[in-house]
Amino acid sequence: MSSPSKTSFFSPRRVLIIASSTVTQLVRMKVFYFLAPIALLFVGLQFFDNIFYEGPETMVPEQQLRMHKNICLGTMMFFTSLFAIIFTALLIPSDIEDRTLYTILSKPVPRLDYLVGKLLGVISVLFIAMLVMDLLLVVTLHYRTAAISANLGHYLTEMGLPKTEIARGQAEVAKHGPTILLQYGVLAHFSKACVLAAVALLISTFSTSTLFTIASGFMIWIIGSFQSIARDGIFNAADFGEAPGLADRILGTLISLVFPDFQLFEAIADASARAQEILVDDMMKLGGLTLLYVGIYTVLSWFVFSDKEF
Amino acid sequence: MSDVAAVEVHQLVKDFKGPFRGKEVRAVDEVSLRIAPGEVYGLIGPNGSGKSTTMKAVLGLVRPTSGRCSIFGRDSLKVDSRNDVGFLPENPYFYKHLTAAETVRFYGKLCGMRGRDLRNRVEEMLELVGLQDARDRRLRGFSKGMLQRIGLAQALVQDPQLVILDEPTAGVDPAGSRQIRDLILELKSRGITVFLCSHLLEQVQEICDRVGIMHEGALVNEGRLDDLISMHDRTEIVLENASEELLDQIRTLVDVTHDVNLISEGNPRTTLESLFLKETSNKRVPKVRQRLSK
Repeated sequence: MSSPSKTSFFSPRRVLIIASSTVTQLVRMKVFYFLAPIALLFVGLQFFDNIFYEGPETMVPEQQLRMHKNICLGTMMFFTSLFAIIFTALLIPSDIEDRTLYTILSKPVPRLDYLVGKLLGVISVLFIAMLVMDLLLVVTLHYRTAAISANLGHYLTEMGLPKTEIARGQAEVAKHGPTILLQYGVLAHFSKACVLAAVALLISTFSTSTLFTIASGFMIWIIGSFQSIARDGIFNAADFGEAPGLADRILGTLISLVFPDFQLFEAIADASARAQEILVDDMMKLGGLTLLYVGIYTVLSWFVFSDKEF
Repeated sequence: MSDVAAVEVHQLVKDFKGPFRGKEVRAVDEVSLRIAPGEVYGLIGPNGSGKSTTMKAVLGLVRPTSGRCSIFGRDSLKVDSRNDVGFLPENPYFYKHLTAAETVRFYGKLCGMRGRDLRNRVEEMLELVGLQDARDRRLRGFSKGMLQRIGLAQALVQDPQLVILDEPTAGVDPAGSRQIRDLILELKSRGITVFLCSHLLEQVQEICDRVGIMHEGALVNEGRLDDLISMHDRTEIVLENASEELLDQIRTLVDVTHDVNLISEGNPRTTLESLFLKETSNKRVPKVRQRLSK
């Protein structure tokens, strides 16, 4: 039986084999069961009006839809980020503990292929979960929008407004429904989850405890979400009559270099929920930033993992 | 025969740092060994003697503090060196969510195998290790012996020229242990090099061509098995149906011969393993049926 005389530095095929095995592992761990309560939540939102809503005269219909989107997008963000950290944190330590890693690395498998394969496996599972939740959101939001639009139509007709005004009102409601802007928000949350998975991968390469990896991942999630506010506070303190000290500036710069900054991700998700315009440039920046963070954390993971002994 | 050794370890030293920058522990102390292609080499020694660390250094799982290891002339730290190697670690576990067939297929794919070649090889390996009936069972439900056999199957899937086995029969019952021994002998007959470590000395004695003995990180003795265990100043003669008269004559002859001593005499013994296998190989007749047949 022939075998290759030289193993390539990086093999997409080997990466896909390991990614596929990781997806199978996570699926057979029944991780998708968490989608069931989420589905119930999304569908349940259909049947419950906001408690302050007593008709179009008490609350603008767009606010209803915004609330629906905020709850759903927030739920999606929470679960994908949570599981990005937890799934990734479990993978490498369990392979080491079970010595499965010995048998994998005793084959002609470069360590980079192993790491990228594991990360790609987690991202694939997150993608599937995000896709299912997105479909649920689109369907429930579609029905919700249609119901609110019909309700508004009746209300405006009873008020005696002309058909053009009614149509304009209904078009305004439709803008807050399941449009492409909504997908930008979903993409922003998915991108954030990918970055958190890469962060958890890096921590797991040197951490000796899964709990430490998960806790650190959460901490980085929080820091990443709020560091722009903290940085603005430090660097713009002069506006409030307080010049930031040198230590504060160095600390602020270090934090922004070490930890991911999720400001753009949050801004796009927020704009999506509000049905505000999102520029293509911003989406390109989001894509570039995601690839940059994931790339850097993966390369750092490789540096640490390549010298690890088992 | 090629001059390139299947495994070459040259002045291998491996130190492990203690916790909190404490004292370093020397796990392997200037070990050198050479395994020729087609040989079965046994590395024996007590727990903690450095056997597994030596194996891991050969596989590139640990980086030597100094010295070097190579497999068929390739540096062990390079991924290339593992193209022709199959490894079975001590007490192996595999992905519990996979079935037996999926496990062997997974490792075959990692070695670059694909398509019909891979499918056929998976079936061949499952048959070789006697797991074809369990091919679609998840490893979660496997016994220790079954896991060991799956481990052998994945180690052999890519038809390696070198097989490294770390305690291949640890925790396995005598029947399973005998099967693994027979498999190793078959690999040897095919010209495959086997490098195993074990502290089950009887088994090593049965199958190995050469043996190295490690103690406290050092290779304290090494050589061909026959040379190592032969007691050259003693002769063993086993007689069948010898009369008491003949035995007396032999004893008298020994007494009168200068510088020859009778060390011991008695009936030779079989091994407990052979007895165990003999007693358990036939299907047991239930006691109820035995009473009825009387």
